[in-house]
Amino acid sequence: MNSSRLQIIFFIFLGLIVSSFTFTLFNLSPISGLLTLFSGGFGSFNALAQTFVMSTPLLIIGVGLALPFQAKFWNIGAQGQFILGEIFATWIGLELASSLPPLVVILVSVVFGFVGGALWAIPPTLMKLYAGANEIITTLMMNFVAVYLLTYLLAGPMEGAEAKVVHAPSSAPLPAADLLPHVGMLSVGIFLAIAIALILYVVLKRTNFGYELMLIGQSPDNARYSGVTVRRNILLSMIISGGIAGIAGMIMVFGSTQALIPQFFSDVSTSFGYVGIAVTMISSLNPLAIIIISIFFGGILNGSYIMEAIYSTPIDVVISIYGILMFFTMIGILIDFSKYFRRKKVK
Amino acid sequence: MIQAFIYVLISTVLIGMVPRAMPIFAAAIGENIDQSSGVLNLGVEGIMLMGAIIGLEVDFFTHDLILAFLAAGAIGILFSLLHAIATITFRADQVVSGTAIWFIGWGISGVIFAATFRGVSPSVKVLGSIYIPYLTRLPLVGKLIFGEDPMAYILIALLIAGQYFLYHTKQGLNLRTVGNDPRVAEIMGVNPFLYRYAAVLFGGFMAGIAGAYLTLVIVGSFYFDMTAGMGFIAVALVYFGKWNPWRVFAGSLIFGAVYIFYIYLETIITSVPYEFFDMWPYLAVLGMILVIGLRARAPTSLAMPYIKEE
Repeated sequence: MNSSRLQIIFFIFLGLIVSSFTFTLFNLSPISGLLTLFSGGFGSFNALAQTFVMSTPLLIIGVGLALPFQAKFWNIGAQGQFILGEIFATWIGLELASSLPPLVVILVSVVFGFVGGALWAIPPTLMKLYAGANEIITTLMMNFVAVYLLTYLLAGPMEGAEAKVVHAPSSAPLPAADLLPHVGMLSVGIFLAIAIALILYVVLKRTNFGYELMLIGQSPDNARYSGVTVRRNILLSMIISGGIAGIAGMIMVFGSTQALIPQFFSDVSTSFGYVGIAVTMISSLNPLAIIIISIFFGGILNGSYIMEAIYSTPIDVVISIYGILMFFTMIGILIDFSKYFRRKKVK
Repeated sequence: MIQAFIYVLISTVLIGMVPRAMPIFAAAIGENIDQSSGVLNLGVEGIMLMGAIIGLEVDFFTHDLILAFLAAGAIGILFSLLHAIATITFRADQVVSGTAIWFIGWGISGVIFAATFRGVSPSVKVLGSIYIPYLTRLPLVGKLIFGEDPMAYILIALLIAGQYFLYHTKQGLNLRTVGNDPRVAEIMGVNPFLYRYAAVLFGGFMAGIAGAYLTLVIVGSFYFDMTAGMGFIAVALVYFGKWNPWRVFAGSLIFGAVYIFYIYLETIITSVPYEFFDMWPYLAVLGMILVIGLRARAPTSLAMPYIKEE
C-alpha cells in the first residue's frame, strides 16, 4: 500500500515535469516556471491565505462529487449546482440582511445554498433513473442552462444598484456584517470545508450508505440482488453532492466575492465545478486525499495568476497542468510494476 | 402576410441549420464508430478545441487548407491515442481518462492560442459554400441541397460510407461484436484490441476535423473554449441516434434546426430576455435525450475494458 502511494506521488511529480514544458512556449525555462508557480501559490503567508480561498470551493465540491462517483454515477454538473447555490444563498442573504442577526443570516443562507444546488441536481438524476438518459450529458447541459440563468438574473431581477451605474453585472453587495468571519488571515470557509470533508470521509468509509454506493459502483445488478435499493441511494448521493456544491457556492459569495458575479465558460477562475471533477478523480475518491489535492490545485491556480501578472502566461496553463496530472495519476494508479519485475525473475 | 412569414422562417431554418449541424456531426460520426467498438471518448470536447486551434495555426502560416485539416486530424489522432493507451491497454476508467483528455485539450489549446496570437485571433478567410448556377437559386431547397460548403458534402459521403461499413460489411459486424461482447469476438478470431484502437483513433481524427471545420469553415477565427459544449452535444447525439449513423445525422440536423429556429425567434420576439433563448440549444439536447433516447440500447460492453483471459 505504501509503495503504491509512493508510486502515485512519483507519477504526479512526473506529470508536473511534463506539463512544465508548456512554459517554454512563453520563453520560460520549465524549472523557473515551476518555481514561480509554486512560490506564487505557497511562497508566503499572503499567498497561502489566497490559496486557501481558491482551494475552499474545490475541496467542498470535490468531496461532494466523491459520493455519486463512488456509485459510478458521473455528476459533471457541479458547476451548475455551484451556481444555483450562489443564486439561492445570495438571494436569501440580501432578503434577510439587516433584519436578522448575522449568524442566523449565514446559517439560513447555507441551507438555501444546499437547497439550490440539490434542486439543480435532482432533474438529471430522475431522468437517468426513470428514463435512462445518460447523466454525463444531462448534468453537463444543466450547467449551461445555469450560466444563462445567472446572466439573466444579473441583467434584471437581481441586478445591484451600483452595477447599473458602472455597467459591470453584479448583484447588490452583501452587508459586511453578514460575511463569513475570519480567523486570523483565513476565512472560516476553509475550516468549514475541511469539516465537510471529514464528515464525508466517515459517510463514505464507515456507513452502510457509503458501502452500498460502492456496491452499486461495482455492479448495479449485483447490488440490487443483494438487497440494495439502487435508485434511492443514487438519488440521495446526488442530493447531497448537489447540495454540497451549492454550499460551496454560498461560501464563495459570503467568503470571497461578497456579491453574485457572472460566470463565463472560458473563465477558469470561476470553473470550480469542472476543476472539482479533476480533484476528485485524481484523489481516487478518498476525501482525505481530496483535502491535500484541492489545496495543491488551489495553489497552482493562485500561482498561475502571479505568473499571468509577471510573464503574461494565460490562466489556461493551469487547466493543461490539471489535465496532464490527471492523466499521469490515472496511469500511475493502474501500472503494476511488480508484475513486470516478477516476470523477469521467472524467465 | 402569415404565409410570407412562414416562408421566411422555413428558408431561414433550412439555410441556417446545416452549418450549425455539420461540425457537431463530424465529431459525432467519429464518436459513433468509437462507441460501437465499446469505447466512450468524453475527450471529444478537448480534441475539438485542439483541432480548431491547430487547423487555424496551420492555415494561417501555410495558407494550405488541406494541410490544415490533415494537421487537425493528426492532432486528434495523437490525443485519442493517449485515450486508447489508457483505456484499452491500461484499462483505465473511460470517463476518467476522457475527462483528463478534455482538460488537456482545453488547456493546451488556450496555451497555444495565447503563445502564438497573444489571445487575439486573426481572421482567416472561411471556406465558402459552393455555388452552382440555376440549381442553387431554386426556392427553399436550392441552397440547402446545392449550396453547402465542400466539407459538408465530404461528410455526407462519409455518412454513407460509415453506415455501409457498420451494418453491411464483415469488419463492421466485427466492430459491433467487439463493442457488444469482446470475448465472443475473440472466439470468432477477431482481435478486440486492434479494432478498439482503430475505432478510437478514427474517432479522434474526426473530432480534430470537427474542430478545424469550426474555425476554417464556419467561424474563421478562434477564441478560448470556443466549442462551449459542442463535443458533449456530439456525444449526446450518438445516444440520441442509438449508435446508427443515419439517426445521428438526423439528430444533428434536428439540433441545428432547433438552434437556428430559436436564434430567429430571438430576433423577432424582443419581450423575452435573450438569455432564455441562449439556453435553448442545451434544453433542446436535454429534451431530445429524454424523448427519443428513452429506449436506447447501448453496445453491451460500452465503457467496459476488455480483460483477456490468460
